[in-house]
Amino acid sequence: MEIELDEKDLKAAGAEMLTDGRRGLRIHGWEIESIKRSILNSSSLQQWEERLQTSHLPEMVFGESSLVLKHVSSGVKIHFNAFDALTGWKQEPLPPVEVPAAAQWKFRSKPFQQVILDYDYTFTSPYCGSETIEMDSAKHVSVNWEDCEEQIDVVSLATKEPILFYDEVVLYEDELADNGVSLLTVKVRVMPNCWFLLLRFWLRVDGVLMRLRDTRVHCIFSDSANPVILRENCWREATFQALSVKGYPTDSASYSDPSIISQRLPVIMHKTQKLKVSGNL
Amino acid sequence: MIYLIVCCDITNNQIAKRRKGKHTRTKKFVADAESLSEREVMSDLDRQIAQLKKCEPLKESEVKALCLKAMEILVEESNVQRVDAPVTICGDIHGQFYDMKELFRVGDDCPKTNYLFLGDFVDRGFYSVETFLLLLALKVRYPDRITLIRGNHESRQITQVYGFYDECLRKYGSVNVWRYCTDIFDYLSLSALIENKIFSVHGGLSPAISTLDQIRTIDRKQEVPHDGAMCDLLWSDPEDIVDGWGLSPRGAGYLFGGSVVNAFNHTNNIDYICRAHQLVMEGYKWMFNNQIVTVWSAPNYCYRCGNVAAILELDENLNKQFRVFDAAPQESRGTPAKKPAPDYFL
Repeated sequence: MEIELDEKDLKAAGAEMLTDGRRGLRIHGWEIESIKRSILNSSSLQQWEERLQTSHLPEMVFGESSLVLKHVSSGVKIHFNAFDALTGWKQEPLPPVEVPAAAQWKFRSKPFQQVILDYDYTFTSPYCGSETIEMDSAKHVSVNWEDCEEQIDVVSLATKEPILFYDEVVLYEDELADNGVSLLTVKVRVMPNCWFLLLRFWLRVDGVLMRLRDTRVHCIFSDSANPVILRENCWREATFQALSVKGYPTDSASYSDPSIISQRLPVIMHKTQKLKVSGNL
Repeated sequence: MIYLIVCCDITNNQIAKRRKGKHTRTKKFVADAESLSEREVMSDLDRQIAQLKKCEPLKESEVKALCLKAMEILVEESNVQRVDAPVTICGDIHGQFYDMKELFRVGDDCPKTNYLFLGDFVDRGFYSVETFLLLLALKVRYPDRITLIRGNHESRQITQVYGFYDECLRKYGSVNVWRYCTDIFDYLSLSALIENKIFSVHGGLSPAISTLDQIRTIDRKQEVPHDGAMCDLLWSDPEDIVDGWGLSPRGAGYLFGGSVVNAFNHTNNIDYICRAHQLVMEGYKWMFNNQIVTVWSAPNYCYRCGNVAAILELDENLNKQFRVFDAAPQESRGTPAKKPAPDYFL
């Protein structure tokens, strides 16, 4: 186990670590596991290209990595993986973003035979997680997210409860051929009273644009049959030009860590939802 | 920018003086005192190489002196530097010092093995300074046994964003070392030609280039431009889905297909192109009917990809052997493994 844990804290919280080299824990009826593997090899990449009907995938696809949170008694399973995220990318066909050098390139003499590629190379995805319900086949239940008025209790999350389990899983990453970064990661922390996670899509096209799509999911442990799970989506976006108008720096090096600069990017979408389990339980 | 021009002028003057000195020496025969100082230089270099092999950076003054000596050597090299076989070709390193040491373990030490590095020595990894300085010191010590060509990361602009600039500032408290190194980058050759049969370049081809002679005429001693032939050689990529030329959706950056490679190899009477620049999970990848191969030499890239790396060994008859290797084991690395530190993220 890479993360050192305080056995006493674990025991006091009624949690137990997963064994057999698995990373994660069982706590209050939840099984939470992070799986971290290498990037896909060439033949798997090719299979993914066929399944996703694309000839372009991020340079680094951690296709077998995931974060899974399973509520054992209700069968509710929330999980995060690259394939579903890239399916989302395919379904949101954004126009390509031109890099600053493109202005100069327009004046270059064109080669005899030139194809202009026009896929969204930023791999921007609206993905905010996957959810299923794993039950006996006789029961017809489904899970979906419904808008709600409640908000994630950020104040309680700011208290320094002991962290029983923490991990970060990269789902995919692309260097935009050294023109910035496109990165989808999910971080999780499990405390004695709740779990909390942040799925973050971070894009910086150097000199042009920054985009942050955050999904926060929070579950306070309870003894009820169906857990209460809140999910908040917050999308932020700004061009380098807009930042410069506001007097912020516009060199890419100032924007290497999204958690530090997120406040500078205006919110373009925000909503909170609650997980709803429906059907004859 | 003004600073850079001034700085280059000074350096050119210094080189001119030094070269003049060198000529006089050859004419006059080497005086005993001078051969002694040459020996001192060599033993100094050997000491520096030994130090760098322990991943200990040099003093700022030593870096300055090393860069001046390297400039004298590199300025003489052609844009298409001739390389003799046997030779071992290496792709991107990206500051992964301990993995480069693993590379030298697998491929044997320089000068025992003759090496060709295809650029991207710096950025992304933790040890760009030590990595580049070790390669540069080896170049100065054994100029005929190691060839370094330029990658797109050997640039002022790119290193300011992707790590090398910050690393220099952190390790030296000033950006002088970054300035010395980036000035040297301008002198690195753009490509290599092995036994007239294998063309080696960091990125790929350019629609502005159809013959090797056209590369030879480029004035390379400058920052990598944003467009044009020199930019393409360092930045472009082969691409399956185009046959001729493709323009990246970014609006800058060429992709080239099989027929472009075919025509280039035919025109220049070469067997194949060897390039780096793109991560390949398996360490190397052939494309277009074995007309071009990508070699990638940074295992477990960015310390998290889990990929293997490769180097391509060519014997005196140009027979190929890829040597595939893993990242250096954790215990051989100077610093302990980076654990994900639990953080109270919100």
